[in-house]
Amino acid sequence: MDSIREIVVLSGKGGTGKTSVASSLAYLAGKEAILADCDVDASNLHLIMGPDIIKKELFYGGEVAQIDIETCIQCGKCKEVCRFDAISFSAGVHTIDNLSCEGCGYCSRVCPTGAITMMPRLSGEFYISGIRNGSQMSHAKLFAGGENSGKLVATVKKNAYRMAKERGCDYLITDGAPGIGCPVVSSLSGAKVALLVTEPTMSALHDLKRVLFVVRRFNAIPLLVINKSDINEAVSEEIKKFAKSEKIEHLANIPFNTSFVESMGKARIVAEENQFLKGIFESIWEKAKEVADSSVQN
Amino acid sequence: MKILFTSTGSEWSSKIDPRFGRAEYLLIYDTEKDELISTDNRSVNGKAHGAGTATAQKVFDLSPDVIITGNGPGENAARVLQHLNPKIFINAQGLSVKDAYEKYSAGDLSQLPLS
Repeated sequence: MDSIREIVVLSGKGGTGKTSVASSLAYLAGKEAILADCDVDASNLHLIMGPDIIKKELFYGGEVAQIDIETCIQCGKCKEVCRFDAISFSAGVHTIDNLSCEGCGYCSRVCPTGAITMMPRLSGEFYISGIRNGSQMSHAKLFAGGENSGKLVATVKKNAYRMAKERGCDYLITDGAPGIGCPVVSSLSGAKVALLVTEPTMSALHDLKRVLFVVRRFNAIPLLVINKSDINEAVSEEIKKFAKSEKIEHLANIPFNTSFVESMGKARIVAEENQFLKGIFESIWEKAKEVADSSVQN
Repeated sequence: MKILFTSTGSEWSSKIDPRFGRAEYLLIYDTEKDELISTDNRSVNGKAHGAGTATAQKVFDLSPDVIITGNGPGENAARVLQHLNPKIFINAQGLSVKDAYEKYSAGDLSQLPLS
């Protein structure tokens, strides 16, 4: 893990362009970087990277209660304590609805005959895939009712690090989850640089401040990109001032451009569709690499 | 004095785990007895959520004077550790446990303020 430099793309607020930025950087990096999609709740990176699945693995996350009908005396204590209405009683037997069960384990605790066991829940699949730029990506898919978690992100990243090591890649580009919760915390472990993608709206600025707190907590170096920078010049200025006061390096402004939506519609990467934007992404990638490289020497 | 390392294995040659909550092993070096004891922490890694506080609880029970790790504990884990008030040194990822200990001894690791 020593020499691989990880750059995590985060935003706090969703919809600021994290995935468009991450995919464009990966496109420019080519075989220099492995791409990891850690935004598993709403993973869409695979839609534009055109992955060719090489390896698939099952993911067990959290638990689900299971009633053994032989041991169950149909006392109904489990149904009484379930906060999620996951247990129903019909035709003389108690059954658990897997989708409603949150895996809290209360039923298993109160069961007088020990008929309820908490089982690992099969909640999704992991993939290692070849991608269009000649490199590989580590990603995952959740089944209905599945939830992104620190554990899932940790595994996606572990696979990505292993792939980077095997293929001799210097960099790992991680598309992070929105928000500041467990998956974001997990995506920051091992990261040298957090590329924060924001937009000039009050809610994005608010969430940027929150994610910055987490980034600092985990000692990653924050870098800033303002996407759709010209849709509200006043808020853009406010963000720049904030970045300056927080000593965050502001790498680039990306003006509003319909190419983002158009390339997405064609399942293409922005940087491969639009030469002007490609130039901006090139400068972002060069700077991010430079900062990540220098962080290793210290 | 007891020094705790977050590690990817149970040996002096094992690499420091950059993760605190999901560290695979917790190694304790007792400087007086000159012994290295490892605790397998992989069961915590099986948790979908709350890994940081679960590991912090373990660390609390092991009560080290010094912690050497990578990115450092998160907000919730740090709040648990405050009650123990250890010295926390970070950015040791990539080093072996032995090298991290030597760097620490030489005063070359940066300390994380617990606030």
